[in-house]
Amino acid sequence: MVMASPARGPRARPEGPAFLGRADLQALLDLLREDGRTLIGPTLDAGAIVYDEITGVEDLPRGWADEQGPGRYRIHDRQDDRLFGYVVGPTSWKKWTFPSLVPLTSATRDGHKVGFEPVPLDPPRLAFLGVRACELAALGVQDRVLTAGPFVDPDYAARRANVLVVAVQCTTAATTCFCTSMGTGPEVESGHDLALTELDGGFLVDAGSPAGRAILERLPLRPATAVEQYGAAATVAAVRAGIGDPVPAAGLHDRLLAQLDSPRWLEIAERCILCGNCTLACPTCFCTSTTQATDLSGTTAMMSRTWDSCFSPGFAKVAGGSFRSRHRDRYRQWLTHKFATWWDQFGESGCTGCGRCVTWCPVGIDVREELNAIAPARPPAAETALVEPAAPSPTEFVTAHVTGTKAETGDTVTLTLESDHPALGRGGPGQFAMVELPGFPPLPISISRYLPGGLELTIRGAGAATRALGKLQAKDEIGLRGPLGSSWPLDRAIGRDLVIVTGGIGLAPLRPLIQAIIAERRRYGDVRLYYGARTPADLLYRGELERWKSASIEVALTVDRAGPEWLGPVGVVTNLFDQATWDGSGMVAFVCGPERMMQATVSTLAGRGIPASRIYVTLERHMECGIGLCGHCQMGKYFICRDGPVFSMAQLGDIFGREGI
Amino acid sequence: MKHGPVAARPRVGVVKFASCDGCQLTLLDLEDELLSVVEHFDIIDFPEATSARSPGPYDILFVEGSVSEPAHLERIVELRRRSRFLVTIGACATAGGIQALRNWGDHDAFRASVYANPEFIHSLATSTPIAEHVPVDAELRGCPIDPDQLVELLTALNTGRRPQLRDEAVCMECKRRGVVCVMVSGGIPCLGQVTQTGCGAICPRFGRGCYGCFGPRERANAAGLSRHLQLAGDRPREEVGRLFAGFTAYSEPFRSMVTELGGARQAGRESGVEAAPTGGSDARH
Repeated sequence: MVMASPARGPRARPEGPAFLGRADLQALLDLLREDGRTLIGPTLDAGAIVYDEITGVEDLPRGWADEQGPGRYRIHDRQDDRLFGYVVGPTSWKKWTFPSLVPLTSATRDGHKVGFEPVPLDPPRLAFLGVRACELAALGVQDRVLTAGPFVDPDYAARRANVLVVAVQCTTAATTCFCTSMGTGPEVESGHDLALTELDGGFLVDAGSPAGRAILERLPLRPATAVEQYGAAATVAAVRAGIGDPVPAAGLHDRLLAQLDSPRWLEIAERCILCGNCTLACPTCFCTSTTQATDLSGTTAMMSRTWDSCFSPGFAKVAGGSFRSRHRDRYRQWLTHKFATWWDQFGESGCTGCGRCVTWCPVGIDVREELNAIAPARPPAAETALVEPAAPSPTEFVTAHVTGTKAETGDTVTLTLESDHPALGRGGPGQFAMVELPGFPPLPISISRYLPGGLELTIRGAGAATRALGKLQAKDEIGLRGPLGSSWPLDRAIGRDLVIVTGGIGLAPLRPLIQAIIAERRRYGDVRLYYGARTPADLLYRGELERWKSASIEVALTVDRAGPEWLGPVGVVTNLFDQATWDGSGMVAFVCGPERMMQATVSTLAGRGIPASRIYVTLERHMECGIGLCGHCQMGKYFICRDGPVFSMAQLGDIFGREGI
Repeated sequence: MKHGPVAARPRVGVVKFASCDGCQLTLLDLEDELLSVVEHFDIIDFPEATSARSPGPYDILFVEGSVSEPAHLERIVELRRRSRFLVTIGACATAGGIQALRNWGDHDAFRASVYANPEFIHSLATSTPIAEHVPVDAELRGCPIDPDQLVELLTALNTGRRPQLRDEAVCMECKRRGVVCVMVSGGIPCLGQVTQTGCGAICPRFGRGCYGCFGPRERANAAGLSRHLQLAGDRPREEVGRLFAGFTAYSEPFRSMVTELGGARQAGRESGVEAAPTGGSDARH
């Protein structure tokens, strides 16, 4: 299967990820050059791995690695023959897409006449080799700034259109990396034409565009083995785990803008030299100044654009002085633009977490440390959200009255309840209340919504007591105790992608979680809800599902038995995501449903790479007191009502799903 | 900076004080532009180029060198009087030059150790920049000055616009040119962050640290750099002080760093001269 010599002409492309032997990388480089492209890639220069023009594999930094820290960069011998075994160096690709000096217009002045002649655009055809995920994101950020309109930078647009991008997955990280926090990496996901993952014997190759696919068809490839595919994914997953989450990004925009008067700005000003290195090393910074070069007589002038920096003295200068004359003003301007006001202007962060500003700050100012000091992440929601429950003792109940009822399905009703007791409206998502209708045994019911001065309970009529509750009408009263138990630890999900998996009535305790997410949507990454019901008629909160979608929550539904009107998937809920492309290693999962369904879900989620410590389930057991005194709900070392009902899989370990515990 | 062309064909003089003449020679080294310069400017006094002399008055006077002798004190005042537009060129004229290191030493001891008959040496206890004595209209920094900046200044004077002499860190030029930072990648102490650009980052381009010959830039945080070099770089105080004790040592805030860290004393000791601690500079403060 392996073809030793470079291939020419079209050939059948293997299905799925393909493998390019190490010796055949030159064939890729040759193809790109044959297409008239100049190759720009990593190479060793002046003790650093820089990007520059290369011609062949022999120019690549074979066996070299970089070692980075705040204000420090060194290279060392890896003792192997990896070509991409480094992270990112001092150069960013904007050197070619957004060069430091661009001639704009030649202007003339002859007596009364003036003339302007734009410099013709003549962008070179380039191929970038070795673009990392954070760098792809940076190209995207500059695309949005410079080409998304209403005005377009023609020079940038022309240069950018002439670039073919060969990305490389990170197989190692620097201590300065924080792409995970910025949501840009380490996985190469989009924006590339080709993506390589370097393995011992060669490269896993994927196409990300038609141009990339066309190149693949001309390469000597074989299908990648399962071991190679697994190895590639595992390596990148290990990079993600190694980086962790150095700058919890959720809410950073608001947190930072609330600190415009922080004393820390003054303190930074003593350390910051205002040299501007961070801005010019940054792959997204786009500020420029125009310069004029004239001849001695001043009759002709060449206007050029050059990289400038908000740290430079003249940057905010007008006649009369500079608007940012103080050190602290300039650092604050940079930091708040990058991490806060960029959102307002361009709908995303200006930072991609590449870490260049950390490494290449000559005095080692670490933007992550400054952000965490100036605008610390909010205290964990779970620790602060739990209120003192109303009427914790089983001898007492708070009276609540029904203000509304809504039939969700044939057997399920949502009761809206009002109560004077403030605690009832302010519990955490996932907590429950003990509900007492005199004459019936007290029932633990998950709270499905918190309201000012009240709450909602969604009740499926499964027995005599629940059916009686389902028949309540407006003005009817019941007794409540709560909120009780643990809640979904939403703080663990800040800055992460979330997956929520549920079945049937299990959506009820997740509803306040989803509402809390929507209330502060920016604090979280992608949110996916997978929801299964017996039949389409058994889906809860059908109107709300649409509203959740419009709040950027991906909602996927499935049913066990479809009717003629159902056009969606049929089958168990795990079918909705066992073919999905996301990698779970950085994600948080919240799961609620029948225990068998949760077992299958937890196992599938673990297989997608979500660690047990970030998979949460909520358990149902017989409860009577709700406060860990009656003994009914014991499960191993836990009382579900007091220690749960929400647990992480790391807490439960192998007692979860064990028969008869 | 005054606005409008200085004159139709400005009369230009080039004079020197305590200096090596290297900055003046930059004018002669302009080569490609030299004919055009002569076409647009009437060079009436330039001893390095012509023996024809003129006492002025000058439309533009380029002044090289520092005020270092008693006779300089009167001469610079007289020259200022005869010049419409006075431009200081080079580290000596703009900062006092390398010879300003004596401002931290014992002048009499220096003279005695260098000269057999020091009584014939008529020098001041300090070497000071021209701007300490007379108003200066523009300055070109560097040791020596940069030819491109000189052409830019001449062009601006001829067309009546503000010269584009960027007051930013040398780092900016390194980054624009893709020079790998010598301090971050090589641990080489570099003054580029606190030094005004204009040189084209010539030292870092050749793998060495900037030694600050263009002098401190606007709001140079020399104290911040000094702290970093001492703490993170684990360098002794005097070694850091010596970094600032170069061609522009007498310009603030480099001057304070030299005084505070004792850099001039260290430099003096290395050159074989035992200088007094920091007494000499006090008279100037």
